[in-house]
Amino acid sequence: MLTNMWNWFPGWSQTVIIDLGLIIVIVLPLMLGVAYLTYAERKIIGYMQMRIGPNRVGPRDWLQPIADALKLLLKEIIVPTNSNKFLFLLAPVLAIGPALAAWAVIPFSDTLVLANIDASLLFILALTSMGVYGIIIAGWAANSKYPFLGAMRSAAQMVAYEIAMGFALVGVLMAAGSLNLREIGLAQAGNISDWYLWPLLPLFVVYFISGVAETNRAPFDVAEGESEIVGFHLEYSGMSFAMFFLAEYANMILIATLASIMFLGAWHPPFDVAPFTWIPGLGWLAVKVCLMLFFMLWFRATFPRYRYDQIMRLGWKVFIPVTLVWIVVIGGAIFLSPWGDVFH
Amino acid sequence: MLENYLPILIFIIVGVLVGVIPQVLGWFIAPQRPDSEKLSPFECGFEAFEDSRMKFDVRYYLVAILFIIFDLEIAFLFPWAVVLREIGMFGFVAMMLFLGILVIGFIYEWKKGALEWE
Amino acid sequence: MGFEQILFYFFAGVLLFAATMVITIRNPVKSALFLVLAFFNAAALWILLEAEFLAIVLVLVYVGAVMVLFLFVVMMLDINLVKLREGFGEYLPYGGLVAVLLVIELVVVLNSPQFGLGEMPDPVGQAADYSNTRELGRLLYTTYVYPFEIAALLLLVAIIAAITLTMRKRKDTRYQNPAQQMSVQAKDRLRVVKMPAERKG
Repeated sequence: MLTNMWNWFPGWSQTVIIDLGLIIVIVLPLMLGVAYLTYAERKIIGYMQMRIGPNRVGPRDWLQPIADALKLLLKEIIVPTNSNKFLFLLAPVLAIGPALAAWAVIPFSDTLVLANIDASLLFILALTSMGVYGIIIAGWAANSKYPFLGAMRSAAQMVAYEIAMGFALVGVLMAAGSLNLREIGLAQAGNISDWYLWPLLPLFVVYFISGVAETNRAPFDVAEGESEIVGFHLEYSGMSFAMFFLAEYANMILIATLASIMFLGAWHPPFDVAPFTWIPGLGWLAVKVCLMLFFMLWFRATFPRYRYDQIMRLGWKVFIPVTLVWIVVIGGAIFLSPWGDVFH
Repeated sequence: MLENYLPILIFIIVGVLVGVIPQVLGWFIAPQRPDSEKLSPFECGFEAFEDSRMKFDVRYYLVAILFIIFDLEIAFLFPWAVVLREIGMFGFVAMMLFLGILVIGFIYEWKKGALEWE
Repeated sequence: MGFEQILFYFFAGVLLFAATMVITIRNPVKSALFLVLAFFNAAALWILLEAEFLAIVLVLVYVGAVMVLFLFVVMMLDINLVKLREGFGEYLPYGGLVAVLLVIELVVVLNSPQFGLGEMPDPVGQAADYSNTRELGRLLYTTYVYPFEIAALLLLVAIIAAITLTMRKRKDTRYQNPAQQMSVQAKDRLRVVKMPAERKG
């Protein structure tokens, strides 16, 4: 009977329903991941600073993220006077929308990819470049000085690091010869020595640090540094604020996933022998993503905040030259050196 | 090719809904007790004494313009990197010339202090 | 009407609406945001044409970069809205004239025997693994290498022009030179002077 009902739907709507189901299968674990990333962040930084971290709600505080979400839901959404109300409420949507939509093209394993478009990497770069709108509009619509100043700074920082990020990606494309993330992952099949981490090490470092700066995370978090200036989401409260929070953490996971796919051999195990190959590809990808996320949290616990002029200097004067030089080096390696076949 | 883009379109719609629905929920569930102090813009405890939409340093424009130029460079580099092995040495030299011209611009920026943030 | 056509009319409709709002809405920031929406829908239309690379680059460059500059400018210049709208009626005839000319040109081109819709065959739909980017790359850096290098020169001119137009050295700023700070030695800052011990009385 169920199949009868199913066949009753016209062809295209069947596809839409199946896609919708798959999207929910991606988004729900992502939301859960975000919730427990905030938990992991507080616990890990807590232990690094010889504290216990949160330990009240539920066994070992497992329910803290749920409690946080409920609390934010029950808080008043304050829309300041003189603000531009529609844009003020639109900004969180513009922050979270691209952060989620980028996940459409992420390959979770050799076969698990929702939309296997040819230019998936370019698509992600385009969508992440839209994240800056959420910030600029949030700062402007509030019609308040500090958010505006914070938004301008965040925006200038994000665009500076986007360049470095884009140049770093060019190196990956040269090595893999494809814009498709699945093919980039497949090109790194084999052992740990086949990962792009080794030939593209400078680009990996640039990409990962730029990713941290793109998401406005510590040590590049001048936008929300208490001692510097309060950030673009100063006037936000309740669920509207939660959306920015969600977007930031979803972006962190996105950066970690992309770094794993492009440099850490994607879903391939480090050694292509028996005990390692028992774990499915999705598991290996998850392990790598968690490792990258752990590094991000570690950065926050360890490094003092950069000053704004230092941030801009690092982005423009260090990362861009490094990536440019390395692009030339890779090109030279492909054409001139006997090691050209490092990249298959 | 187009069939691959349908899930993306749906995903963008879902992404927007994920942004809208919680805010609507929050609007209905959470209390609404506005008062003039609560709604006034944050100003370290002072009354706001100046229009918040102020003029900014021209440096921000410069950063945005340079960003556009470098973004275009990236747009040129992407297809090149993908087909590098097919177009061979000729394509490589062509891009090196392209990058060389732009590195002149980059050095000019650097020497002029356009990348300095004082 | 197929699903693709429904999508086409939807995106085209939103595009036209957004473009109209760009020139009619009062608030310049909202106007810029409608332009973003227009670009986004244009990109969607290009994807329907299977011009994948160009569509995504349109979003990357125009939405992600050019419109950010626009927003920076309209947000930070205090634009007097009333003054801006004064000339609207005055310019309307000229604008209308240009619009009419454009429409006539479009009609002539589409109906002409050389380029007419009947003359151009419908493009063949591409297979799922067709790479738009690869095709573009194959041509751009070989057949069209000369225009490609000209583009580099244009970008160079843009860099230099942007800097000469906006760079103002401010005299009143103080800043640190990190390289100098790092290379400082103790003996540059501190001098240990030998002195005989002083005795009381």
